[in-house]
Amino acid sequence: MSRAPGRDWTERVLAGPVLWVALAALTLFAIAPFVWVLLASFKTRAELYATPIVYLPASLSVANYVDAWTSKLTPFSRFFANSLWVSSVTMVATTAVSILAGYALARFRFAGRHTFLLVFLATQMFPAVLLIAPLLSQWHALGLIDTYQALIYSNFSFTVPFTVWMLVGYFESIPRELEESAMLDGCTNFGALCRIILPLAAPGVAATAIFAFVASWSELLFAITFTSRAEMRTLSAGLLFMVGQYEIQWGQLSAGVIISTVPVAILFTYLQRHLIQGLSAGAVKG
Amino acid sequence: MAREATIVAPAARPLLSRRARERLTGYCYLIPVVLALGGTVLFPILKAMQMSLYHNVLIKPQEYGYVGLANYVRLVHDETFWLSLWNSVLWVFGSVVFQFVGGFAAALLLHHPFRGRTIVRTITLLPWIIPGVVVALIWEFIYQPNYGLLNDVLSRIGWMSERVAWLANPDLAMPAVIVANIWRGVPFFAIMLLAGLQSIPTELYEAARVDGASVGQRFWFITLPMLKPIIVVATATRIVWTFNYADLIFVMTSGGPANATQITSTYTLLQAYSNLDFGYAATLSVALLLIMLGFTVFYLRVTRGLEGTS
Repeated sequence: MSRAPGRDWTERVLAGPVLWVALAALTLFAIAPFVWVLLASFKTRAELYATPIVYLPASLSVANYVDAWTSKLTPFSRFFANSLWVSSVTMVATTAVSILAGYALARFRFAGRHTFLLVFLATQMFPAVLLIAPLLSQWHALGLIDTYQALIYSNFSFTVPFTVWMLVGYFESIPRELEESAMLDGCTNFGALCRIILPLAAPGVAATAIFAFVASWSELLFAITFTSRAEMRTLSAGLLFMVGQYEIQWGQLSAGVIISTVPVAILFTYLQRHLIQGLSAGAVKG
Repeated sequence: MAREATIVAPAARPLLSRRARERLTGYCYLIPVVLALGGTVLFPILKAMQMSLYHNVLIKPQEYGYVGLANYVRLVHDETFWLSLWNSVLWVFGSVVFQFVGGFAAALLLHHPFRGRTIVRTITLLPWIIPGVVVALIWEFIYQPNYGLLNDVLSRIGWMSERVAWLANPDLAMPAVIVANIWRGVPFFAIMLLAGLQSIPTELYEAARVDGASVGQRFWFITLPMLKPIIVVATATRIVWTFNYADLIFVMTSGGPANATQITSTYTLLQAYSNLDFGYAATLSVALLLIMLGFTVFYLRVTRGLEGTS
């Protein structure tokens, strides 16, 4: 009884002032860098390089966005289209491949199943840098340098292992009896997969697809190594190329940063819940 | 009945047994994935092993040739390689420890119900999802000595009199890139631990409260033990991932100044990308592969151990 008030007091402070101060600090830490770059993207040249720093631009000028989008040297419209194409094709192909593989690993018992699962786990741990030298010489030999194919194929190396792993979990959570009854009714195995399993696993499949898209959108190292021509650069590669110029144009660069961030930020807001479930499900299963 | 069977049986009996058919379908479904990963992971790894036995610098084709284990001898005597391994340890340790602490705090905060929680949650998780090059450029701009945010803030609050070139100073460059990486990685732990917190039954806390357990006791005896599997898996994943992660350092410093931020993955990248020394880059790849296999064994042992306890 005598300890009760003290306990309540600790809890009240923790759930009251401490919570609010900590939340404010957390939000500030997360968002301040974004705000800084967003503000910079609207600044004029004079405002960008002023001392002491001018934090708020005098007007919301979109000149930097227009310059970045239409620039001859670093055409962001082209980079954007490249990123969109590479990420979309990677997404569709990755999803198709991993639905089949995930289904097979979740449903069928065959020799080597366990080895397959282990390989997928191990592959997730391989760094992209490990593959740079051999892939570059491979694409070079196949004449695929400066093509979308080289980027899309290379992206499989990091999207597929993760999406297969995630989909195995989703498919295993769907009761087997559903397809068995469909197959008794004359459905083929593939028919049962398309008509019964996929609709049920739709949220999981969507989350996996978006993961593949976002991961390819962010990819940098393959994009800079397997392309040399400016018009083949993705957004990530284009941004880096911009830094390589003789003087960094922070205004245009900030606009480019915002352009590259917005699509994934929107997708992520949608994806959040599914990804959390998928990650924790996969994690607990190990 | 019997008559019907004699007529139908030859046509209707499947060629293969149900089990065999299932196995065959399973293998068929795996063909695309075998092609996709065979062509982009398995074959390149074998290729890297072969390449590591050759002297192969792209701009000196006349020197190309089989050299046996010479590249591996060079690796063992390469001081930059050993320095990069040590830097990798610092990079991984510094990043993961603070990402974990920050992410845990964030998860506990975001677990509390309050108005506008969804918005705050989305904002705090954003740094994790944006492209690595974007993170690198944002922080490069913040660290910029003349018109960057950090120097200005520090001098305004009076903690600094002279401008500091954060990324050009060998003593400060590593902490600077680690801070950028912490910013990026906190959301990962937040997201994982938040999912874990949400799966803990509230009855446990209520029962403990009835028994008179304090906030600290409830955290220590309920929250931590219940989160242990996720903590272990998330940390192990993150260690591997951070060790492999080259984008951030590559963009911000390219491993400089004077290799102060050179980690093993950026070193491997630079050998192929800047020096075009494919033989040595492949040798470093093989070394990384061995380290990763070690990590995988470690990871499996850790997660197996969890299954045993739960």
